[in-house]
Amino acid sequence: MANDDLFSSYDLLPNTWDEMYNNPSDIRSQYKIINEYLKSTSPEMLFKKEELSKQLFMNQGVTFTVYNDNEGIEKIFPFDIVPRIITSSEWEKIDRGIKQRLKALNLFIKDIYHEQYIIEDGIIPAELIYSCPNFLREMKGVKVPHDIYVHIAGVDLIRNNDGEFYVLEDNLRTPSGVSYMLENREISKRIFPGIIPKNQIRPVSNYPNLLYKKLKELSDQNDPNIVLLTPGIYNSAYYEHTTLARLMGIELVEGSDLVVKDHFVFMKTTNGLKRVDVIYRRVDDDFLDPLEFNEASTLGVAGIMAVYRKGNVNIVNAPGTGIADDKAIYIYVPDMIKYYLEEDPILKNIETYQLGKPEEYEYVAKHIKNMVIKKTDGSGGYGMLMGHEATEEEIKDYLNNVKKNADNFIAQPILRLSTAPCCIDGKLSPRCIDLRPFALSGKDGIDVTPGGLTRVALKKGSLVVNSSQGGGSKDTWVIQ
Amino acid sequence: MLSRVANNLIWLDRYMERGNGILSLLKVNFYANQDSPELFSWSPIIKNYTSTDNTFYTEDAVACIDFIIFDNENSNSIVNIVKKARENARSVQEHISKELWLCINSYYLFLTKKGLREKLNEEDLIVFLDNLLAFHLKFYGNMEITLERGPAYYFMNIGKYLERVIQISDFTAMKLIEIAKTSDNLEQSFYWKNLLLSIGGYQLYLKKYKSFKEDHIIAMIFQDTLFPRSVYYCINKLNRHVNLLIDTGELEKNNIEFLLGKLESTIKYTTIESINDQGLDNFIQSIKEDIKNISYSINTVYFSNIN
Repeated sequence: MANDDLFSSYDLLPNTWDEMYNNPSDIRSQYKIINEYLKSTSPEMLFKKEELSKQLFMNQGVTFTVYNDNEGIEKIFPFDIVPRIITSSEWEKIDRGIKQRLKALNLFIKDIYHEQYIIEDGIIPAELIYSCPNFLREMKGVKVPHDIYVHIAGVDLIRNNDGEFYVLEDNLRTPSGVSYMLENREISKRIFPGIIPKNQIRPVSNYPNLLYKKLKELSDQNDPNIVLLTPGIYNSAYYEHTTLARLMGIELVEGSDLVVKDHFVFMKTTNGLKRVDVIYRRVDDDFLDPLEFNEASTLGVAGIMAVYRKGNVNIVNAPGTGIADDKAIYIYVPDMIKYYLEEDPILKNIETYQLGKPEEYEYVAKHIKNMVIKKTDGSGGYGMLMGHEATEEEIKDYLNNVKKNADNFIAQPILRLSTAPCCIDGKLSPRCIDLRPFALSGKDGIDVTPGGLTRVALKKGSLVVNSSQGGGSKDTWVIQ
Repeated sequence: MLSRVANNLIWLDRYMERGNGILSLLKVNFYANQDSPELFSWSPIIKNYTSTDNTFYTEDAVACIDFIIFDNENSNSIVNIVKKARENARSVQEHISKELWLCINSYYLFLTKKGLREKLNEEDLIVFLDNLLAFHLKFYGNMEITLERGPAYYFMNIGKYLERVIQISDFTAMKLIEIAKTSDNLEQSFYWKNLLLSIGGYQLYLKKYKSFKEDHIIAMIFQDTLFPRSVYYCINKLNRHVNLLIDTGELEKNNIEFLLGKLESTIKYTTIESINDQGLDNFIQSIKEDIKNISYSINTVYFSNIN
């Protein structure tokens, strides 16, 4: 049965790039196969597929628990069944762009914690580095294996109305979401049988093997003991930690399972203490070692930083990588690429204003209705001001707050995030999306898994894709 | 294996075994209660599975079953037991099979699904209980078929047989209190039959002994070598899995093995006459004491260094 109704209310947003439609009467070629399939599927069947996808997430425990009145409620991260599709030439540019960027960022981190040529040469002001809360003095002069600091990155991209991909954030600390990249694909296989091979979609399932390989490379042991350190079951990404540990066949440990003794890290086993060689940690720097950072932390291991500095354990990502994905440092990434690689950036930055500079503050204040203001050390979509949505009063209050410590704020023009078709109440509607591909660095170079996590703002007209604020996700298909 | 993981595996299985035991008990008591409500009241069951400060008691079958399955405050309610089993399973996912995790997770989702509790008033009670028991059967089957014979499997079995032997002792002690209240032979035989049914040994008993005799029942519950819910069988299995852990290097030879071996021979070689001489309740008490010591030793050996 044909389902013509499906597209009946697909109203393209003005001045916005749509992933599926070139113009109201022309569907981009990469979407033709899925489009035919959707058209020939009845609304009832689509609804059933949506229900099936929810059920699959629930049954497998791909959930996070929200605690309310002592009662834990299992929630799933909303999933939209219509995949987001990227052509091979689009991907080729993303792939090259991310590799270039990570290469430069990694050189930058190494430089900052050693010689600091980039400061000496006047590219980045010293006070910016030293005032950054994510700069770790404890990492000065520490030599890391293969000079790699960022082993795992999840770079956030958006597509602007010019059709170009821009980098929004670099996420070099403990980026999450990769389990959704893997799980979303598994769900797609179930709800669109046969469609993936027909489209020649590149697989993503190799990610855990590749990650394991990169982790293993870091140790000089023949058969290193590699563990994944989780903050525990109350962490909202706990599902991801268990999944990655299972898919790599490594032990999932909590801080209390580990202990430092004689300058090594051990885990407490039924067999006594067993040495740990590589730790893929999903615990933030601040909680890693109560002796050196937040002393109230029970999530980390006392003394682990001293072991790390001695080279007796590897921590992934290296502590202190937060210096490079700080929102104030972001502005300098194109300069870093030129400085370290002598190349032009392949992926663009979003134009960013530093509110600490009076002339830029003036400009932002004047154009505030078209600006979004962010704290340089904020994340998760909190503490932002969206100029076009805010009232005069809210803007006034916010700017007063900014003035107190203007260096901690940046502003960017409100972006036209590209839209992709989402199945909403049985009909396709355009919703804003971004893209987080996952990259792994090792001694043989950088691998970017073809695909990633496409996050979607499910609320109509919303630009906020964060899961904590009504966002969902889509499977991301990259065509061979 | 991480000590925490071993601990969680033991408790994962203890909770599942406890859930199975409680549900079987509810089912058997429901039938018995239909015949003679004065002999098979609900209060002793509630008492055994709640803390000392519990004030809720009822003789209404549905209300009692509702309370035991769904009450949030009661840490031994089925909902809470399964929740804890699932939490333990969740944290050891890389040590159990994916199938086993899916099985426990689906049980949890079934129990916490909106509207299930209301169904208790509408559906046939036995069907309702059987639906829950089916999850336990799936769990047993899944574990046998999908788990490799290694430390995770051995630790889970330790949890299972530890819990089972505690349950058998508890059930028997509970019945002995009732039996002591009456001198009527027929009533006493009802209690014994009910005990056999609760631990799932009635059919085997009839096959083996045909008619009711207290000594035979005691021999079957405590000493039978083939009945999977006899005390002897459980201790024997505990012993076996402790030895397997020693073989795989997960446990050093120590007093756990000694305590278990001693208990196993005590149960095996104590005659019915001597059990009767010391009194069955005392016999049970001493078994419980030994089990407590064994369970305590397991804790000190493996888990004293957790936190």
